[in-house]
Amino acid sequence: MTVAEVSTPPCRTRQVPGQPDMWFFVLFESLIFTSYFCVYLYYRAQHEAAYLAAQSQLTLWLGVVETIVLLTSSWSIARCVEQSRNGRYDVARRDAFLTAGFGVIFLILKVVEWVRQIHLGNTFSSGDFFQYYFFLTAIHLVHLLIGFVVVGVAIHQLSSPRRRSQELVETCATYWHTVDFLWVLIFALLYVVR
Amino acid sequence: MRRLNRRLLAVWAVLSAITVIYIWIDHSADHHGTAHASSAVTVIALLLAAVKVRIIMREFMEVRNAPILLCRLTDAWIAGMSAAMIGFYLAGRAVAT
Repeated sequence: MTVAEVSTPPCRTRQVPGQPDMWFFVLFESLIFTSYFCVYLYYRAQHEAAYLAAQSQLTLWLGVVETIVLLTSSWSIARCVEQSRNGRYDVARRDAFLTAGFGVIFLILKVVEWVRQIHLGNTFSSGDFFQYYFFLTAIHLVHLLIGFVVVGVAIHQLSSPRRRSQELVETCATYWHTVDFLWVLIFALLYVVR
Repeated sequence: MRRLNRRLLAVWAVLSAITVIYIWIDHSADHHGTAHASSAVTVIALLLAAVKVRIIMREFMEVRNAPILLCRLTDAWIAGMSAAMIGFYLAGRAVAT
């Protein structure tokens, strides 16, 4: 591949990655999540001491590991799209399986974290911070579970020459990346902000 | 192909590095192991998250190769989300004082 092929294509040949409908969904979902984030930040700013005390019971490095695992899954699905575009469907399928694998690792880490918090006595009714913590991480996890179905669709597409649709593979990847960037925001809000 | 794979690897490395920076921010915000509220830390954390979201959209989601309208729309969306979050946080602080 030459430098020219890697660089940004001219405007007239540019195409929306995947189906445009998925982009409406991405923007709509990010709008919904932003409204949750705004409410959380507004109330957090008014009760900083209580939120800080509750937040100190989270393990930052675990959140960092979870984030890097999900970023790695995004990297895998991005490679999958590229391999599929170049006709290397077996490698693309392997990358899609890797994406799901990293998703499963994230899921296990998240459940381990929840169990640990519940053992510490922090549940949905243990104050505002943990209410937001369980709500935001749970609603994100629902999106992750839907993501497994979406990656399954991509694998199904890549498995047979009769079904291979590059647009559909890109659409599936767009959804998975949305799950990733929503977590990037949730991680910053729950583990880092002061 | 190899060049593009290297680019994706570099993007992943940058995103992971920014994530690790959060640990340093967290440690530097503590005073002798005690957490303190800090609007500076909050704003920096939100802006770093916005930078990561933009990198994910531009590189992993291939917005850099998309029509200009989608490029502008996603940039405006990220800017709007960040402004709203920082705005609501600062409004909450203002109400509290």
